[in-house]
Amino acid sequence: MLKNYIKTAWRNLWKGRVFNIMNIIGLSVAVACCIMLFLTVYYEFSYDKFHANLDKIHQFYFTKNGAEKVEKATSMPAPLTPAVKAEYQDIKYITRMSNGGTVVRYGDKQLEESIHFVDPDFLKMFTFPVVKGNTDAPLKDLNDVVLTEFAATAIFGKTDPIGKSVELNYSGEPKTFVVSAVVKDFPPNSSIGFDVLLRFENTPTYQANMKSWDHHDHSVFVQLNDNVEPAAFESRLQNFVKKTFKTTIADMKRDGARPDAQGNVYTLNLLPFADNHFDTELVGLEGNSVSKIYVLALLAIGIFILVIACINFVNLSVARAFTRAREVGVRKTLGAGKWQLLTQFWVETLLVCLFALVLGIIMANFALPGFKATFRSQVSMSMLLQPIQLVVIIGLFVLITIIAGLYPALLMMRYKTVMVLKGSVNTVKPGKVRNILLVTQFSLSTLLIVCTLITWQQINYFKNKPLGYSKDEVVSIPVGNSVNGARALELFRNQLNGQPGVVAISGAYDNMGNGKDGSTRTSIIGFTYKGHDVRTNIQGVSYDYAKTMGIQMIDGRDFSREFATDSNAIVVNEKMAAQLGRKNVVGTYVAMDEKHPQLVVGVMKNFHFRSLRTEIEPLTLVLSGYEMNYIFVKVRPQNLSQTFNMIEQKWKQTFPNAEFQGSWINENTERQYKAEQRLSTIFISGAIIAIIISCIGLLAISFMIMVQRTKEIGIRKVLGANIAGLVLLLSRDFLKLVLLAAVIAFPIAWWLMNQWLQSFVYRIDIQWWIFALAAFIAVFIAFITVSFQSIKAALANPVRSLRSE
Amino acid sequence: MLSLQHISKYYQTGGNKTFVLNDLSLDIDQGEFVSIMGPSGSGKSTLLNIIGMLDEPTSGYHYFMDQPVHQLKEKQRSALYKQYIGFVFQAYHLIDELTVLENIETPLIYQNIKGAERKALVADMLDRFNIVGKKDLFPAQLSGGQQQLVGIARALIGKPKLLLADEPTGNLNSKQGEEIMELFKKINKEDGVTIIQVTHSEKNAEYGSRIINLLDGRIESTTTL
Ligand SMILES: Nc1ncnc2c1ncn2[C@@H]1O[C@H](COP(=O)(O)OP(=O)(O)OP(=O)(O)O)[C@@H](O)[C@H]1O
Ligand SMILES: [Mg+2]
Repeated sequence: MLKNYIKTAWRNLWKGRVFNIMNIIGLSVAVACCIMLFLTVYYEFSYDKFHANLDKIHQFYFTKNGAEKVEKATSMPAPLTPAVKAEYQDIKYITRMSNGGTVVRYGDKQLEESIHFVDPDFLKMFTFPVVKGNTDAPLKDLNDVVLTEFAATAIFGKTDPIGKSVELNYSGEPKTFVVSAVVKDFPPNSSIGFDVLLRFENTPTYQANMKSWDHHDHSVFVQLNDNVEPAAFESRLQNFVKKTFKTTIADMKRDGARPDAQGNVYTLNLLPFADNHFDTELVGLEGNSVSKIYVLALLAIGIFILVIACINFVNLSVARAFTRAREVGVRKTLGAGKWQLLTQFWVETLLVCLFALVLGIIMANFALPGFKATFRSQVSMSMLLQPIQLVVIIGLFVLITIIAGLYPALLMMRYKTVMVLKGSVNTVKPGKVRNILLVTQFSLSTLLIVCTLITWQQINYFKNKPLGYSKDEVVSIPVGNSVNGARALELFRNQLNGQPGVVAISGAYDNMGNGKDGSTRTSIIGFTYKGHDVRTNIQGVSYDYAKTMGIQMIDGRDFSREFATDSNAIVVNEKMAAQLGRKNVVGTYVAMDEKHPQLVVGVMKNFHFRSLRTEIEPLTLVLSGYEMNYIFVKVRPQNLSQTFNMIEQKWKQTFPNAEFQGSWINENTERQYKAEQRLSTIFISGAIIAIIISCIGLLAISFMIMVQRTKEIGIRKVLGANIAGLVLLLSRDFLKLVLLAAVIAFPIAWWLMNQWLQSFVYRIDIQWWIFALAAFIAVFIAFITVSFQSIKAALANPVRSLRSE
Repeated sequence: MLSLQHISKYYQTGGNKTFVLNDLSLDIDQGEFVSIMGPSGSGKSTLLNIIGMLDEPTSGYHYFMDQPVHQLKEKQRSALYKQYIGFVFQAYHLIDELTVLENIETPLIYQNIKGAERKALVADMLDRFNIVGKKDLFPAQLSGGQQQLVGIARALIGKPKLLLADEPTGNLNSKQGEEIMELFKKINKEDGVTIIQVTHSEKNAEYGSRIINLLDGRIESTTTL
């Protein structure tokens, strides 16, 4: 029986091969996309799931309900952990965690490894199972060190590491530790990553920190007892907060803090560790958080593409079904039961889907490297072989074949046998369902076009918005760790002085945008000024900073070598000046720390020293006390690349051992919008694939309809219709549908993109012409597709088409 | 074997009913060879389709092999049909995608007969109809007469008790038609298959044992030969 089904199915598929090939191409592209997209989504959602106690682990963070904004911070003071643990029975385990890097020395081997300072509870809470050594209490002693398998192999090779002494240097002076245990390597989808674990007491300034409640510098994770509700525990914690942070709370209230619903201004809260990977709001979380929006966008686009391909499938099968109604009728007279017929059609669908699946997997295999690079995805094809994925694939596969295969089959079965055999079934019916499906397809496609256009516009806006400083003619060079920043700046200044093309040179603590070194630094201080709280970003700079960066001074002056006292002076931006609250802040003293009031010598026009996602914040420039991590060189606008090469040459001459990682600042600022760029790439690729698949469907359906209307076209031509009129006549119905689809997509697209744009402080307005353009693109592409067939039909010889009836 | 009592079939056209069959009663015994004649539109095909359970009457009683067909469920009816009835069409209605052999084999598949047995039955049939040499050809590669031969072979493969043929010779020339009629006669005589055929040709009608003349949905006259 099955053999027979497959044989007939194969012959039928071969007979309709033009359509089936279109079908298979569309489907397999969709399969390939879905495999990559869904695997990525799965991967992102699988983050940290390997921890057995995941649901019970939470991270502490403070919430400050300030007068103007709510600030959340994950940094905790060192004495907090023992104090909370002693006071609350709710806590099963608690650990502090602080990260760093260390040089590991064993024998004559020396390696750089990353280090986590934790409390012993760490290994009980998180699932990093010990594979070798002390399984019960791996961090019992202060000089215990725990390694991952990976790190252990790197350091010890094949020797057994347990009990061996290693020398770690993470604070300037080497200390000796004894390897107590080796833990299993964590999977790539782990937020917490480390090579080496040490007791938290080994952090360099531990003793001093334990005495201070004001020094917040590490994370704290708790595992609650099984019956404890996190919310209830949070509210119980408030007692402790009120008692311990009395002065902080008093200061906040003085500055007009706005209490939350429970009347608290300062609270200690819990972030479920399960949410860690998708939390982009809190800073200082473990691992690289990703925005859920991006993951959901991937998921949505995957679903869109799959839906569009399935719609093609259904539409094409239905269109073919009309031509096969007679066969169904005959088979019924030969005694075929309903289920036998349905099975026959299902087998055909199954074969097509199977082809598409195999082809899709092959395509995905080829496309995967590019995909991984573009979307920073970690997936691999082997992930497909995990049980969950297999079940999902098979389930989805069967579901799709049932939906796509059964619906057309049921449609065919509905015909009265007698009618079909008499040949009186009207096969030209446009079909409401088909139109609805076409509209759905093109709605999704138009939606993606609109999303593409708007993300593009927003990114362009980012690129072109004046930032208040010169980004196109300034090279930023990360100094690196091998040389001292201030020394390097001085040396390099001398080297470049008088070089043609160079306008000015300066240095700073923090970069502009994201440099090639990939790091950003933030330094914020808060102090009390004339009875109110002032917070400002601090940027340590060298002389000529304003000149080099092209920042405008609106009052006073930049730092100058002519004033020896400038080492204790500050330059502020307008925002900061406004906070200081007077008309003329130049010449006044500001006491950022109580002992040394600093003279304000200048006020800068506001400029965007951070990304355009955020408002401009108060900024204070200081001359001393900060490392010079970056050197800035402003050059003349002529011969930019030549000057850049010269700078690189000079750098290599001056610092033969330091890598040159210089880049133009406009490259750095563009790098800040990588996430947006990636989203835009997702949308563009999604839109293109969606449109291609939709058009394959449209092409096939229009072809089918032209065949059915051959006679009508012939008659019209005989009656004197011209080609253009005929093409229009034949395309009109489709274009109407596409236009309708666009109109349906608009409000959804508007709503979605408006939501997205809300996350930017500086953003474009959505303009009507975006929608007009999107509709035009959709209609235009559809028109080309359809007219391909209609022109062919209209040009056909009418005599022949009439005779063919 | 077959009894129709007060069978009517009408279509609602506009406000009034158009009767295609009007209170028609008819009995047919096992082993008969009945020819139905009548002008175009008199309801011959409709009657045949009702007998073959492809169509349903609007009212009336229909018994087949002592079963009240008018009371049966779709499933039971198709089981009855599968077991006892074979159909031959004017337009042959072979399945284009299947070879001669496969076309003939198809009803057996739907009767869930095993492969080996199927092979034997089909081989017999091919032999009997002298079309062994054509077994791997597709319908489009055959002449009309040959196609109808395959159609009849296909209708007979399930060993039906009743063979229904709607103008089986309508698309054939008179010589081909004669051959088909001879075949019918032989099947009727040798295998005892009851045959009901619709025909426009007096000559072909006379192969039967009884001729029923329809007019406007009623039996106008019956001639027993
Ligand atoms: N779906 C329908 N709606 C209305 N009338 C119908 C329908 N189907 C058939 N008829 C009518 O039923 C009548 C009988 O049709 P039938 O096919 O049985 O005729 P016939 O005797 O087989 O004619 P012919 O010799 O031309 O084949 C015709 O007048 C036809 O118009
Ligand atoms: Mg007829």
